[in-house]
Order: sequence, then C-alpha cells, then structure tokens
Amino acid sequence: MKLKIFYFKEGRLVDKCIGSRIHIVMKNDKEIVGTLLGFDDFVNMVLEDVTEFEITPEGRRITKLDQILLNGNNITMLIPGGEGPEV
Amino acid sequence: YYIIQACNILYIIRGLGLQDKEKKKKESIFDLSKYIDKHIRVKFQGGREASGVLKGFDPLLNLVLDGTTEYMRDPDDQYKLTEDTRQLGLVVCRGTSVVLICPQDGMEAIPNPFIQQQDG
Repeated sequence: MKLKIFYFKEGRLVDKCIGSRIHIVMKNDKEIVGTLLGFDDFVNMVLEDVTEFEITPEGRRITKLDQILLNGNNITMLIPGGEGPEV
Repeated sequence: YYIIQACNILYIIRGLGLQDKEKKKKESIFDLSKYIDKHIRVKFQGGREASGVLKGFDPLLNLVLDGTTEYMRDPDDQYKLTEDTRQLGLVVCRGTSVVLICPQDGMEAIPNPFIQQQDG
C-alpha cells in the first residue's frame, strides 16, 4: 500500500499524491488517469501524461501529454495510485 | 436614521453573541465521526454509488473511504447492484458531488411499492 490513511483530504492525502499516478473519476462516465502535478482549493487539478477513458463504449479515448488542467466541478472520486479501468 | 440605528444595534448584539461562542464557522448538522471505521454507502450526483469504510472526512463533506466498491448504473438495467461493481481501494470522495451518506447495513432493497396496474 503506497499511501497511509489520512483524515483530511485538503493538504493531506492529496498532497501525498503529488508526483504520483492518480485516477480521477468524474460525475459522468469519464475517467482520467495521470500524474498529479498540483491542485487548488477547488480541487481543479493539473495532470501530466494523461489518459482519458470513456466507460460506456468501453474504449480508451485519448492519450494526452503536455499537462492538462482538469476542472474540479465534475470530479467525484480521486483514487491515488490507481491505473484506471485497464480492461 | 432609525433604521441605521436599529441595524447598528443588531450588529452589536450579533458581535456579542459571536464573542461568547467564539465564532462558530462551519457547524455541521450531521456528525460523521460516529461513522468512522464503519461501512457506509455513498451516493453521488450523476448516479454513481460507492461503499466503503469511512476513514476520514472534513466539514466540506469530502470523504476518505477504504476498501471501496463502486456500483454503476447502466441505462438498460435500471438498477442492478451486483452488475458492474469494481474495487477501488482507498479513494477520496469529493464532497461537492456527494448527495447521500448512510450506513451500509442500515438499508435493504425492497420490491417497488409504487408499481401501478397498467390500465388498458
């Protein structure tokens, strides 16, 4: 288990994730896997080496690099060290 | 003039009250600490559901769940629990998209009580 269990997300568990892979699940059927570079108070996230998954059609969509800014509005879950739905 | 005076008095009264109680900022109406280390079910905006052991939370209702199982709704199967579950392990749930939290064993599935007889 890479990460210890922390109580408060802001400034704790998510801070520990910076620099490691994180798997982000959105409110809709989209998931993003990338390396976490940083985030802000609203949990907008800056990610690198990103792969975007669309769950329903069951296929990998786009592999992006060069950093993305992911809007925190639609983020539902953050899974540290997750590799996504590798099916 | 009298309105301004009244407002000033209100501010003073409120100030005194705050001084006494030391400015209660984010008082939660629901205490999650009793659910720590218990299995809970969480429902999200967008139809996702997850359950896991609550490891931590904050006043904004962000949650840390361990051993998380996610259930997803398919458009065709309406709501089948056992289908499409996956293990996610340790996750952080965004409080902004949480709509419901309940204990895992505090609920059960029942047959639909609202089904009406179809007329002609």
